[in-house]
Amino acid sequence: MNENQPQTELTDDEIRHVAHLARLAITVSEVSKAKKDLTAIFTHISRLSAVDTDGVQPLDHPTELLNHLREDTRSDTLSQQQVLANAPVIKDVYFAVPKVLGESI
Amino acid sequence: MSTTQHIKKNDIYNAFHEIWETEEPSDGVLHGLCIAIKDNIVTKKGTTTCGSKMLKGYNSPFNATVVDRLENAGAVLVGKTNCDEFAMGSSTEHCAWGPVKNPWDTNRVPGGSSGGSAVAVAANLCDAALGSDTGGSIRQPAALCGVVGYKPTYGNVSRYGLVAFASSLDQIGTFTHSVEDAAKITQCISGYDELDSTSYPETHPDLCENLKNPIKHLRIGVPSQYIGSNNETAVNDAIQDAIDTYKKLGASIVELELPLTDVGISTYYVLAPAEASSNLARYDGIRYGHRTDELCSDLFELYSKSRAEGFGDEVKRRIMLGTYVLSSGYYEAYYNNALKIRRLICEEYKTAFESCDVILGPTTPTVAFPLGSTADPVSMYLNDVYTANTNIAGICGISIPCGFSEEHGSRLPIGLHLQCAWHEDAKLLRIAQMFESATTFHTERPGAIA
Repeated sequence: MNENQPQTELTDDEIRHVAHLARLAITVSEVSKAKKDLTAIFTHISRLSAVDTDGVQPLDHPTELLNHLREDTRSDTLSQQQVLANAPVIKDVYFAVPKVLGESI
Repeated sequence: MSTTQHIKKNDIYNAFHEIWETEEPSDGVLHGLCIAIKDNIVTKKGTTTCGSKMLKGYNSPFNATVVDRLENAGAVLVGKTNCDEFAMGSSTEHCAWGPVKNPWDTNRVPGGSSGGSAVAVAANLCDAALGSDTGGSIRQPAALCGVVGYKPTYGNVSRYGLVAFASSLDQIGTFTHSVEDAAKITQCISGYDELDSTSYPETHPDLCENLKNPIKHLRIGVPSQYIGSNNETAVNDAIQDAIDTYKKLGASIVELELPLTDVGISTYYVLAPAEASSNLARYDGIRYGHRTDELCSDLFELYSKSRAEGFGDEVKRRIMLGTYVLSSGYYEAYYNNALKIRRLICEEYKTAFESCDVILGPTTPTVAFPLGSTADPVSMYLNDVYTANTNIAGICGISIPCGFSEEHGSRLPIGLHLQCAWHEDAKLLRIAQMFESATTFHTERPGAIA
C-alpha cells in the first residue's frame, strides 16, 4: 500500500483488523455493513488527497497554547469509595477483572 | 405549575432524559433562570449517560465547571437533555433513549447532536440549555428548531466535565431565545479554568457591556461557496433577505472566496473520529460503564464484548474510522494530511477576516428533514458542511433565526450563521444582536404549549 494514495475500498480482513485494534467484537453481518459504510465514507474523504499540502505544517490544535503548569501542591481528590461507586464489578476495594497473566492480546 | 411539572406535562418530544425536582436558586445574575443540561455534561445530580447504553446509570462524582458556574450564578437546573450518542450525529436519532422530535413538525428531526437542548428551548420547556458543538452540534439543531445557538471560541468555556468526543474541536455553548440571554449565560460560564488545560488563559471580553451598541461600518463577508444550488431555495432566499437587512442597517457586503469549505467535512471526518477513537478507549467495562454479562476468559474478550454491547452503530462506525486513519500505514495519508489541511483552513479564515468583520451564510443547507430519512451516513454528515470548519479552526459562530420555509407542508425554521475570528465573541454577539433587534423571527414559537 502506497502511503500517499489513500484507498477507498476496504476488505473484510481490514475491517476485522480495525475492529480488533478498537477492541470491538464484530459479527459476520456487521463486517459487511461496516465495509459498505466505511467504504462510502472513505470515498468521500478521498477528496482530501487532491488538496496541495506540500510544505504545510500539521496543526494539531486550534489554540497552539503551550502547556499550563500548576503549582505542585496537594489538592483534594476523589475518595476510593467515589472512584469505585460506578464500577460494574468490584471485589473488596478493587476493580474486578478476568485473569491478566498468561493472556495474549 | 412548577417548572418540573411543566416539563413533565409538555415534553412530548423526548427532549429530556431526566427531569429534576428543582431547588431554591442562589442569588446571582442568572437568578431563577431555568436551564437544561445536555446529557454529555457531568452533574453530581442524576445521571450522565451521553445518550448511550454504555453509560446507563452513570452517576458522576463531580460537576462540570459550567454546572458549578451556572449554580453559583443563581440558575435553576431542570434536568438532562437527550443527544446523539456521545454527541455523534446531526439528528438526535442516534440516542439510546429514543429519537427526539422537532416541535415545529414532530415527524421531523430537531437536528443534533444537541437536539434535546434545542427542543427544550424551542418548545418553551425551559429558558435556556447548554449543549456542546464539535462540528455544528449546537448551531445546526438551533437552526432546525428556530432558536439561538452559540458556539464560543475554542477555549473560552471550560471543557472540564464535558465527556470528551474530539477534544480539539469540542466546545460547550448555549441555546436561548435571544442573543442577550446567550451573552448573559456565556458571560457566567466562560473564563479561565485551571481544570482544563486548553482553557484560554487571557482576559475574556465582557459579552454584555456593549451588546446593544450596533457596530458602525460593519463589513460582512459572504462566501460564494455558502450560497447556491447546495441549499434549498427557501434557505437561499432567507439568507438574501438577511443580507438586505444588514445593508439597511448600514453594513457593506464583501464578496469572499472560501474554497476549502468543500473539504471541511472530509477533514472533520478524519480528525473527529481519530480523536474519538482515542477518547472512547476509556470505556473498558471495568472502572465504569457497561460490562458484558457473558463470562470472559481474558481482558481482551471483556473489552471487546462490553464495548460491542454498550456502543451504538454510529459510535462504533466512528471508532473504527478513527482507528483506521490512525493505524500504521494510513496515519500519514489520512490523519497527518488532514492536520495540514486544518492549518490551511485556519489560514483561509485569517485572510478572510482581513477584509471583513464577520462571515455570513446559512447554518444548514436544508430545513429539518424527516425522521428516518438519512440512513446513509455520508448524507447525514453533509448537514454540517457550513459549520464544521468553525470547529476545525476554533473560531466562534452563532446561529440565529432568520426565516421560515413553507416548502415541505409545515412551517420550518431557517438559521443564519455568523462566524467571527478567534476571541471576537463580543463582536459576534453584537452583530447577531443587530439582526435580532431588526427582525421578529426569534419571537415565533411552534404550536401551542400549555
